[in-house]
Amino acid sequence: MFSAATRRGSGLGFAMSAILLLAAFFVIPVVFLLTRSVTEPQLGLQNYAALVGSTTYAKVFFNTFLVAGVVTLVTVLIAFPVAWALAIMPGRWASVVFAIILLSMWTNLLARTYAWMVLLQQTGLINRMLKAIGLIDQPLQLTNNLIGVTIGMVYIMLPFMILPLMGVIKKIDPAILQAAALCGATKWQALTRVLVPLAAPGIASGALMVFVMSLGYYVTPSLLGGTANMMLAELIAQQVQSLVNWGMGGAAAFLLLLVTLGLYAVQLRFFEPKEGR
Amino acid sequence: MTPFLHINGIRKTYGDVVATDHVELSIAEGEFMTFLGPSGSGKSTTLYILAGFQDPTSGDIKLRGQSILQTPSHKRNIGMVFQRYTLFPHLTVGENVAFPLRVRRMGQSEVAEKVKRALALVRLDGFEDRMPAKMSGGQQQRVALARALVYDPPVLLMDEPLSALDKKLREEIQFEIRRIHQETGVTILYVTHDQEEALRLSDRIAIFNKGKIEQVGTGPELYANPATHFVADFIGDSAFLAGELAGVAEGRAGLRFADGSTVAAVPLHGRGIAGQAAELMLRPERIELSPEPGPEGASLPVTVEDLTFLGNNTTVSARTGWGGALSVRLNFGHPLSARIARGDRLHIRWAPEAAHAFVRG
Repeated sequence: MFSAATRRGSGLGFAMSAILLLAAFFVIPVVFLLTRSVTEPQLGLQNYAALVGSTTYAKVFFNTFLVAGVVTLVTVLIAFPVAWALAIMPGRWASVVFAIILLSMWTNLLARTYAWMVLLQQTGLINRMLKAIGLIDQPLQLTNNLIGVTIGMVYIMLPFMILPLMGVIKKIDPAILQAAALCGATKWQALTRVLVPLAAPGIASGALMVFVMSLGYYVTPSLLGGTANMMLAELIAQQVQSLVNWGMGGAAAFLLLLVTLGLYAVQLRFFEPKEGR
Repeated sequence: MTPFLHINGIRKTYGDVVATDHVELSIAEGEFMTFLGPSGSGKSTTLYILAGFQDPTSGDIKLRGQSILQTPSHKRNIGMVFQRYTLFPHLTVGENVAFPLRVRRMGQSEVAEKVKRALALVRLDGFEDRMPAKMSGGQQQRVALARALVYDPPVLLMDEPLSALDKKLREEIQFEIRRIHQETGVTILYVTHDQEEALRLSDRIAIFNKGKIEQVGTGPELYANPATHFVADFIGDSAFLAGELAGVAEGRAGLRFADGSTVAAVPLHGRGIAGQAAELMLRPERIELSPEPGPEGASLPVTVEDLTFLGNNTTVSARTGWGGALSVRLNFGHPLSARIARGDRLHIRWAPEAAHAFVRG
C-alpha cells in the first residue's frame, strides 16, 4: 500500500516528465518558429503585415474559418442524434456501432480521403446515383472545391464529436426526460429545453476539438479542395516546402496557434463544469 | 355513475413475463390511493402505464369516462413525482417549477404568480433562485412536488418519492404530502413498498402481488380483515400456524393441529373442506397471554421461548405444543411482563374476530 502522499508524489514525477517532454518537443520548436517569423528575411513584423494585409491571404483565412465553422456545425447536427442513439441503445448493439465508428477512425486517413474522392468525383457513385433517381441531369461538382472538403472533413471529424457527446448524454438520467414529457414538453421542447442544455459541455468540448482540428487540417483539404481553394495548413506547407519561406510559414503557423489558444480560453471560461455540479 | 379514474383490466407482458395481470381498480376524485406491494409486483408498471411511459398489452384506462391510452404523455396533463431526483439541473428552482407553464406558453405574469403559489404550497417560498444541486434531497422532492402540481393536474402520480430519504425526513414529508393532499384535493396515486407509509397516507390501499391486486380497502379494513395470506402477511406482523380444517360452516372454520389441539369458529378466507391444509393467523397485539386457559376453541397452550424488551412493549416469543412459533406483545407495565420467564407454560387466548383462517395452496 502506498500512502496518499507517496502516490501524489510519484504522480507529480510523471507529470514533470510529461511537462519536460512537451517543453523539449513542442514549446522549443514553436519558439524557434516564432523567432524565424519575426527575423526572416529581416527583423520585424513584415511577415504578419503581409498575412493580414493581402487579399490572397485573407481569402485563405476566410476559407479556413468558413470550412472549419461549417464542418463543426454539420458535425454537431449529425453527431448529436448518433450519440443519443448510442447512449440509449441496448449495450450489445451500442458496442457494435461504437466499434464501427472506431474502426473508421483507425483506418488510414489517406485511404479514407481517396475513398471520398472516388465517391464524390463527376463519374463517382454519388453523382451516378443522383442521376439514376432523376434528381439531377448534370453531375454535381463535388471535388476540387470547398463542398468536397467539407464533406470529407465532416466524416473524419464525426468520431471526435460523438465521443464527448456520448459521455455527457450517458450521464443524463432518462427519468429527467420522462419528467419533462409529463410536465407537458413535446419531444422538440424536451430536446431544446432539457437535453441540449444538459449536453452543452459535451457539445462545447467536441465543437472546440473539431473546429481546432479543422483549422489546421492538411490532407483532406489538399486532396479534395484543389489548388484554387487553399486553406491555412496548405499555405504553411506551400511557404515552407515549395517556397522555402520559413518566415512566412512560421508567421501563419503562429497565428493559427494563437487562434487555437484563444478558443481554448473561451471554452475554459464558459463551459468548464461549475463547482457543485 | 362513471368512476373518476378507472383502471380497466390492465395487462402488461414482456415476452413470457407477466408484469401486471388484469388490474382492475376504480378511484374516486380527490382520493389518496396507494399501490402497496413488494418490488416486481406490478405496482410501478401500472403507474408507468398511467403516465404513458408504457403501453398495456390489453385493457384500458379511463379518466372521467374518456380513455387516455391514445394520448401521449405530454398531453395527458398528469403530474408525477419520481423516485429519483428529476429536477432539471441546469434550471433554478423557480425555472423548474415554471417549466410546465412555459411549455404551455402561459403568460409571464401568470407564470410568476403560479410559481409563487406552488412554492408556497410546499413551503419553499423564496427559494426561486436556488440551483437544485444546492438543496437537500427532501427539498428537491418538494420542488418536484411543486413542479408536478403547478399546472393543476387532475391526477398526481408518486413513484416511491421518499425512498431515497432517511426515516426522519421521510415522516416529515409524509406529513407535508397529507397536508398538500388536503389543501389541493388532487387525486393521488402513490406507489410504495413501505406498509407504514401506505397506512399513514392513504384513503385506500391496493395490495399488489405478482402482477395482481390481492385486495383493496382502507388501512383498518385490510388490517382487520385480510382477504388472503399475502395481505395478512404484508400488512402488520402476524403469526401463521399450520394445521388442517376440521370443519367448515357459515364462513367459519375449526382447525386441528399436529398435536391434536383444536380451535373453533375462526373466520375462514377462501373455500375449503374438512381435511384440507390451512393456517391460523394471529396478530401479536390481539393475543392475550394468561396463566389460565381461555374459552374453549379460542385458546392454545404455549411455552415461552424468549422475551425482548422494546421500550413501549415487551415482545414474548412462544411456541405451541406442536412447535408453531408466534409472538405476543405485552404493553409496558403489563402485570405479566415482570413475572414471566423463559420456559414458562402459559396460554394464549383471543377474541373470535381477531383470528383468521386461510386455506393453503
